[in-house]
Amino acid sequence: MMEEKYIICEDSLEGIFTAIYDAYALREEHGHLHVQVGEEENYRLFAVYLHSQPDIDKTNKVIRTLKDRLGDHVYGAVCRAAASSARDKGDAVYHTVVDGITAGHGRRTMENLCDPYVNRTFQLARYTANEVHRELEFIRFQELEQGILYSRIGPENHVMPFIMPHFADRLAPENFMIHDENRGVFGVHPAHKEWYLVSGIEEGTGEIQEKARYSDQEQKYQEMFTLFHKTIAIRERYNRRLQQQMLPLRFQDYMVEFLQK
Amino acid sequence: MMDIRIAPQMSVMDKLKILADAAKYDVSCSSSGSSRKNDGTGLGNTVAAGLCHSFGADGRCISLLKILFTNECIYDCRYCINRHSNDVPRASFTPDEVCELTMEFYRRNYIEGLFLSSGILYSPSYTMELICETVYKLRTVHRFQGYIHVKAIPGADPLLIQRAGYLADRMSVNLEMATAEGLREMAPNKHRQTILKPMRQIQNSIAENKNELTLYKHAPRFCEAGQSTQMVVGALPESDYQVMSVAESLYDKFSLKRVYYSAFVNVNENKQLPSASAGPPLLREHRLYQADWLLRFYGFKVDELLTEERPNFNMNIDPKADWAVHHLEVFPVEINRAEYRLLLRIPGIGVKSARRIIAARRFGNLTFEDLKKMGVVLKRALYFITCNGRMMYSTRIEKDYIVRNLTYQNQMGRGEKLPFLMDGTPYRQMSLFDAVPEDFRFCSTVQKAQ
Repeated sequence: MMEEKYIICEDSLEGIFTAIYDAYALREEHGHLHVQVGEEENYRLFAVYLHSQPDIDKTNKVIRTLKDRLGDHVYGAVCRAAASSARDKGDAVYHTVVDGITAGHGRRTMENLCDPYVNRTFQLARYTANEVHRELEFIRFQELEQGILYSRIGPENHVMPFIMPHFADRLAPENFMIHDENRGVFGVHPAHKEWYLVSGIEEGTGEIQEKARYSDQEQKYQEMFTLFHKTIAIRERYNRRLQQQMLPLRFQDYMVEFLQK
Repeated sequence: MMDIRIAPQMSVMDKLKILADAAKYDVSCSSSGSSRKNDGTGLGNTVAAGLCHSFGADGRCISLLKILFTNECIYDCRYCINRHSNDVPRASFTPDEVCELTMEFYRRNYIEGLFLSSGILYSPSYTMELICETVYKLRTVHRFQGYIHVKAIPGADPLLIQRAGYLADRMSVNLEMATAEGLREMAPNKHRQTILKPMRQIQNSIAENKNELTLYKHAPRFCEAGQSTQMVVGALPESDYQVMSVAESLYDKFSLKRVYYSAFVNVNENKQLPSASAGPPLLREHRLYQADWLLRFYGFKVDELLTEERPNFNMNIDPKADWAVHHLEVFPVEINRAEYRLLLRIPGIGVKSARRIIAARRFGNLTFEDLKKMGVVLKRALYFITCNGRMMYSTRIEKDYIVRNLTYQNQMGRGEKLPFLMDGTPYRQMSLFDAVPEDFRFCSTVQKAQ
């Protein structure tokens, strides 16, 4: 009997792609290999656990192969699934790649929805994509004293890499910053320049927030939008349940029109 | 020198309150159909799918800063809150105020762009010119590249409408009533012909522009996101068949992108029109939208859904299920073989799941379990399909039986998901003081402690 092998990797795109590289490097049957994101909480008997360290060269090789052999569509879905918060994403992504490259479904891989791993990747990618779409809609920027736009978000999945390109294009002449409170990640965009991500400065962000002051105009526009938001609803059609279905409470907690009294 | 001011100078805040309130009955909200990158000289871009930036207390999406330029109006339409003879507070923006609001809201990601409509100030052409001036300023002085939807005012100089079209992503002219007689009755100053004229003009300009764009890639774009219109339903006794036939010909003959249906709200408490106490006919509006989707994405024709003898939609089941139970000779459909157009006709299968089925069955035979994972609503589809020659359960293919099952689920709160109660009234946020039967108390939404 072949033993099951679990490759444990870091929770990042780099971590997962390196693990996929390492899994292929073992040259064993894929059915017995698994990629697992984060430490195992409940070790299995008779299973071997390997650790994989994120490696930029391996990652780039995997990215090149995926783009080349599977096309942008599948590559995009794999990236979105890897950004999900689900624990089983590593295995789903790994076996989807196997289905695409080794089973040879190539650019069609995401259509093979009967395959449980592809189906799971498809699901996870959709969760992330939906949340990305909602953040594009519901993010609220607040203007700080120096004219910088600042926004806080609390997404379930790691949506930042997917929302930054949109705002960097849309708000090209603005200096803005988006803060993912759940991950301590900042997306930063200096006016007319490339955007970048900053993480690992959780220390002292509370202080930054306290020191930051809103511009004189900010309060006025928040009030105006709140007024607009209230006025535009038709009383005869009031339907809070529908509102909440379309705009879940976890987003409302970050939106000025729901915070103003 | 004496300074005579009839109304004190109003703040932008006060104007916004009046002019947003006056614009709220216009249904169109979408910001879709246009896809444009930022060119680096200003603020904004557009996304093909459109974005809804918030949702109001009525559950409708808020995508654009929807305002009237002015709610002064020389017309006296009976359904309209801004009619000339109404005593409501009046206000007008200046072009600069509209631009500033749009820019500041936009950079905070409150909105996707501007929706500018207007009451008729002095004359249609005068009003249209004000709209043009505002939008021109927004596009050139402020370099705004987000979404703009403007109204074409019927009766305005065609040149002005042409100018607006080159500045806006979408234009719309409201048809208001489904029938010409209805319009005459409700809006004595409007005529069907003057409404259709600018609609035709916009259609022709869009078509010409398409030709120009194939030749010259960087030619200026005319209404990239097309044009839309809206009809009020439930004010007059027009049938669903009439409404849908008009919609169909608007799609076919005027190449409209969207037709909106607006459940009539008796804002003027007009005694001769349906009263406000019954609430707007939301379920009917919902059925019209469902049918509208069937026309645009599912390859249905109005004559298949409704006839002179059966001119109104069944309120108990949706138009697609209704069609299916009247055409049981077509069913059951074999999922692993049926062509795309036939898959689309099955209740519980939409455009996306039909496409997924077509793509996935290349890899092997699909089972009911697979269908479920692809997003097919099996509890609705199961009466109409087979997988590998078998039905999911042993069910009868019989009209009454299926209808009973589809609606039975509804009574149990499972079947069709409606955004309101079956009688068409919206779910209201019930307070403890509302006189509601004990049994219903438990489902009232508890307001978040503020």
